Amino acid sequence: MSTDNKPSGFKRVLTAIIVVALATAAGIWAARAVLEHKSVPDELEATRFPAAREILPFSLIDHNNAVFDNNALGQRWSFVFFGYTHCPDVCPTTLSVLNSVAHKLGDLEEDIRFVFVSVDPERDTPAQLAQFVSYFNSDFIGVTGTPENIDQLTRQLGVMHLRVETENGASGYLVDHTASVFLFDPDGRYHAVFSPPLSADAITDNFRKMLQAYQ
Amino acid sequence: MKTCFFHVFAILTLLAGISPASADPDLQISEPWIREAPPTARVLAGYLTLLNTGDSTITVTAISSPDFEGAEIHRTVIEDGVARMLPVNQLEIPVSGQLTLEPGGLHLMLFDPRRPLAEGGSATLTIHRSNGSNLTTTAPVIRKTGEDHPHHHH
Repeated sequence: MSTDNKPSGFKRVLTAIIVVALATAAGIWAARAVLEHKSVPDELEATRFPAAREILPFSLIDHNNAVFDNNALGQRWSFVFFGYTHCPDVCPTTLSVLNSVAHKLGDLEEDIRFVFVSVDPERDTPAQLAQFVSYFNSDFIGVTGTPENIDQLTRQLGVMHLRVETENGASGYLVDHTASVFLFDPDGRYHAVFSPPLSADAITDNFRKMLQAYQ
Repeated sequence: MKTCFFHVFAILTLLAGISPASADPDLQISEPWIREAPPTARVLAGYLTLLNTGDSTITVTAISSPDFEGAEIHRTVIEDGVARMLPVNQLEIPVSGQLTLEPGGLHLMLFDPRRPLAEGGSATLTIHRSNGSNLTTTAPVIRKTGEDHPHHHH
């Protein structure tokens, strides 16, 4: 071993130390990133718009045959879901979640409105809707109307609905539909949307934050 | 909060699951239940977990019920926020694996109940395997409306 190897040997050691240090730092950073990522709940946050959107005129009827239009969305916050009463899985599941949200928000001073808008007006009469929504919560509001009038609202919100025939004739048909929950502010403006999978806790936490930000 | 209910529920469904009307050495059913329907509905949804305890893949070709006019396996698929229901022709359960039919996912569509089915009641479900054997279980009807369970089981 010659003496002029010493500096290069030292350099090598130094390089190795730096590499190890960098690798360790990178490892810690990566581990932390992974851990932090894991600590983020799987539930999706609400999509809130920079500015609430005005809703163009629409006119429907509620399950008591009263007019349900833009004015009916005022005065309170409203959670709105689109579906149909013959829907066996997604709609009962979502209305259960919304009923849970209603109970979780029971401590708030203000009343919150929960609205179920039918995308199957052929079968969903006001009487049918009255039975359906009150099964979950007697304060829930069922809304229906002519297909044209329903689409006045669905088109503005980008709500899709499509009738699907089934092989099982007795059951009639199914309706594919947007399964998001839409939030309107007390001015009747479109404020935010919650996309599935929905959780009562996530919706409640998100809504409380939005309420604070709004006031 | 809901823990008590789920414990009771788990025990009840476990009892239902381990005392089937017929047995299969390779296939076990756990937590079968049927969602009590709103008064307007003619289609109910059923859920359960299938466990493969055998040494080959199990294929389920159908699930039927004498308590309904018809039954189909469906899958709720959510794409771009739109919920669609797709019929499923068969279920495959890998060795040592399990398959769960649950709200918002795979589920059983039970058409037109032949008798009123409310919480406290139950219905019979028969699982049909591709090897020709059938397995029968009893699924309790459970009311799930998002409230804490109002009843107390003892």
